[in-house]
Amino acid sequence: MKPTLNWQLASVTNIKPETAKVKSFTLTLDSWTRHRAGQHYDLRLTAEDGYQTQRSYSIASEPEREGEIDITVERINDGEVSTYLHDALIPGDRIEARGPIGGYFVWEAGLLPAPLLLIAGGSGIVPLMSMLRHRAVVRAKNATALLYSSRNFEEIVYYDELEKIQSANNGLRIFHTLTRSQPADWKGYARRIDEEMLKEVASPLGSAVQVYICGPTLMVESAANALIKIGIDSNQIRTERFGPTGG
Amino acid sequence: MEETTDINRELMLDANATAGLLHEIFGLEMTAEPTECANCGNEAEIGTLLAFTHGPGIVLRCSACEQVVLRIVRTPEATYLDARGAVYLRLTTHKTHPESDTLGG
Repeated sequence: MKPTLNWQLASVTNIKPETAKVKSFTLTLDSWTRHRAGQHYDLRLTAEDGYQTQRSYSIASEPEREGEIDITVERINDGEVSTYLHDALIPGDRIEARGPIGGYFVWEAGLLPAPLLLIAGGSGIVPLMSMLRHRAVVRAKNATALLYSSRNFEEIVYYDELEKIQSANNGLRIFHTLTRSQPADWKGYARRIDEEMLKEVASPLGSAVQVYICGPTLMVESAANALIKIGIDSNQIRTERFGPTGG
Repeated sequence: MEETTDINRELMLDANATAGLLHEIFGLEMTAEPTECANCGNEAEIGTLLAFTHGPGIVLRCSACEQVVLRIVRTPEATYLDARGAVYLRLTTHKTHPESDTLGG
């Protein structure tokens, strides 16, 4: 870990729409530091009058990609920063960034080879996607399950890539739940994450499972409490709450 | 607890969200460091603390008893840190980035 955390100007080199409200931004960094999956960057905007505002965004890309990172951002209607990123930013722009930040909500295949349970709500998938991409690149084989809750099918971020990673047959199982509406032929879960669902998803992973939960605060609370009820120790659960709607 | 109304509960974050600010103050990554709650004695990483960031300052509470562990207020001139709720804070002297190229499981 480098001792100082300095702001630098990152260049936006690619912008990719993921869903109607979610985009991924590739930031190229002159002073790139390898991150750990689950960490974030702070982005800072400065207005002409000197007013500054900043937000934290989880890194979506794997640490093995050098010199650049992807962040994936949901557009929040009254969000000062996310609306700017979505509506104004174009490739070639530069933006102030500092990172990687955070040493708690991180997973590294080499350090933690135990079975892994990842639980995401909405854009809470982002730091978990960094873990899954990392896991795929280093060809980890630890038993892993992702339980991913979205409002509807169209709002699932990274759906195709998740299918592809799962089909590599490396011990990863993906479970989707759609809480508001489901396609006619939907075979996944169709309700909010609950104890019964967690039991079905978690029990094949055994009692030594390491759990990472990221999503809206109340969803994270309820999933963590349900896991404790089914017998998983709170020390095995790491959470990243992102507030009422996130972003 | 009076301050923990439903809306505050909904806005509550984890202390990882304040990792950048803590790094600014201490010059170190702090969220993986342990601390001990002065109220209940719970020992856990700073990242486990509950973060309330929507007030004029930042309040970090114990995840076990929800008492205040750290309070941080920034003014244009200075940063104020109230750490009465923590028995100790640990600042690693030297931390190297662990290599993670080995395969898992």
